[in-house]
Amino acid sequence: MIGLVIVSHSEPLARATVDLAMQMVHGDPPPVQLAAGAADGFGTDAVAIADAIDALADADGVVVLTDLGSAVISAEFALDLRSSTHPVRISDGPLVEGTTAALVRAAGGGTLDEVAAEADGALGAKRRGEAEPAGSEPDDGGDRASAEVTIRNRLGLHSRPAGTFARAAAGFASDIRVTDLTAGRGPANAASLVALLALGATGDHVVRIEATGPDAREAVQTLEDLIEGGFGEMPEG
Amino acid sequence: MTDAVTLATVDAWLRRFAAETAEQAAWLTELDSAIGDADHGTNLARGMAAVVEKLDAAPPADIPALLKAVGMTLISKVGGASGSLYGSFFLEAGKAAAGADDLDGRALEAALRAGVGSIVARGKAEPGDKTMLDALLPAVDALQAALTSGSALGDAVSAASDAAAAGRDATEPLVARKGRASYLGERSAGHLDPGAASSAILVKTLADTVTAA
Repeated sequence: MIGLVIVSHSEPLARATVDLAMQMVHGDPPPVQLAAGAADGFGTDAVAIADAIDALADADGVVVLTDLGSAVISAEFALDLRSSTHPVRISDGPLVEGTTAALVRAAGGGTLDEVAAEADGALGAKRRGEAEPAGSEPDDGGDRASAEVTIRNRLGLHSRPAGTFARAAAGFASDIRVTDLTAGRGPANAASLVALLALGATGDHVVRIEATGPDAREAVQTLEDLIEGGFGEMPEG
Repeated sequence: MTDAVTLATVDAWLRRFAAETAEQAAWLTELDSAIGDADHGTNLARGMAAVVEKLDAAPPADIPALLKAVGMTLISKVGGASGSLYGSFFLEAGKAAAGADDLDGRALEAALRAGVGSIVARGKAEPGDKTMLDALLPAVDALQAALTSGSALGDAVSAASDAAAAGRDATEPLVARKGRASYLGERSAGHLDPGAASSAILVKTLADTVTAA
C-alpha cells in the first residue's frame, strides 16, 4: 500500500486534515505520518519530514502532501536527508483535497502513480467543467459492459458515497468511466474520487457506467447496485 | 587581524551571530510582521540559541563538523523556509570546507558560495525577488572581487559586509516574488525584506569577528 506524509506548518491543521480525510476511508486505512510544526510552533522541519518518510519504509511508496510554500522547500530538502530508498513523490496538490483524494486512492490499493495523480489533480474538484483531472483513455482490451442508472439518494455522488463508489471501482481491474447523462458531464474515471466530485452527479440524475476490462460486467453490476442501494442513505420523499 | 579563518573564529562568528539575532530579534520580527508571518526574529534567535547550546555541549572538532552541526540544528529549531535555507547554507558550506583545517580567503569564499548556491537551489529564487539572496549574493561577489584584487582577508570580508548591507537596503522598494511575502504582491514594496536583513547580520558578524581575530 502507498503511504502518505502530511507536511504542514501547523500540527493541529495536519491532524485535522487527516481526521477529515479519514471519514472517506472505509476498511484498512493507508499508513500516514505527520511532519508538522517546528520547535513547538508553526513551521516545517526537513529532518522531521525525512524521519516521517523513513518511518514508512515498509510502504510501496510515499506521497508527500504540503501546505504553504516553505513546506515544499523542506520536503525537497528531506529527500536529500532521508536514509530510506523507497520511491517518494512530493505532490503539488492542495493539502485538504489532495490528502483526501490520495487517502481514498491509496486505501483502494492504488499505485504510486495513481495516488500521486489523485493528489495532484485534487484541485480539479473545485474547477467546474473539468470532470477528469486524473486518468487515461480506456484501453481496448477485454470485455465491455455498461449500464444506465438513476441516482436515488438526494445528494448523489457527494463526499461519502463518492468515496465508497471510487473505492469499489478501484477494486476492479477494468477501466471504469461514469457519465452524468442528465447534466451532460463526463466521462469521469470512476476510481478517482476527485473526478467523481467534479462530476457532481446529484439525485435523480441518470448516469452511465461503462467498464472495459477482464471484470467489466461484474464491475458495472457492483457499481449499479451501489447506486441502486442509495449508498445506505434513504431517498428523500 | 589574521589571514585565515580558524575553528575558533568560526565558533566566535556564530556565537556573535546568535547574540546579534537575539539583540535584533524584535526588529527582524517587526520587518516580518509587515510582509510575512511575524516570526523571523524570534525563530532565528531561538535557532541560534540552540546552536550555542549545542556548541557548548559538544564542541565540534573542526570547521566542517561545526558548520554541519549548525546546519542540522537550524533545520530543526527555526521552522519555515529560513530554517531550511539557513540550515542548507551551513550544511553545504561545511561540505565545501571538508578536509580543511583553517580557511584562507579563497576557501572561505568557496564555502560561502557553496552555501549560497544551496539556497538558490532550494529556494529557487533569483536576485531581485526580495529574499535573503539579495544580501548574500552581492556579499559573496564582493568577497571574491576583493580577494582577486589582492585585499587582505579582513578588508575582503568587510567589503562583503558592506555589499550585504547595500543589498538588504535595496530590497525595500522591491515586490516580493518568493515566500510568504509574495502573497502580498505590490503591498510587499516599501519594506525591507527580513531574510535579507538577517543575512546582512550574518555577514556583518563574520566581518566583525574576522577583523577582531
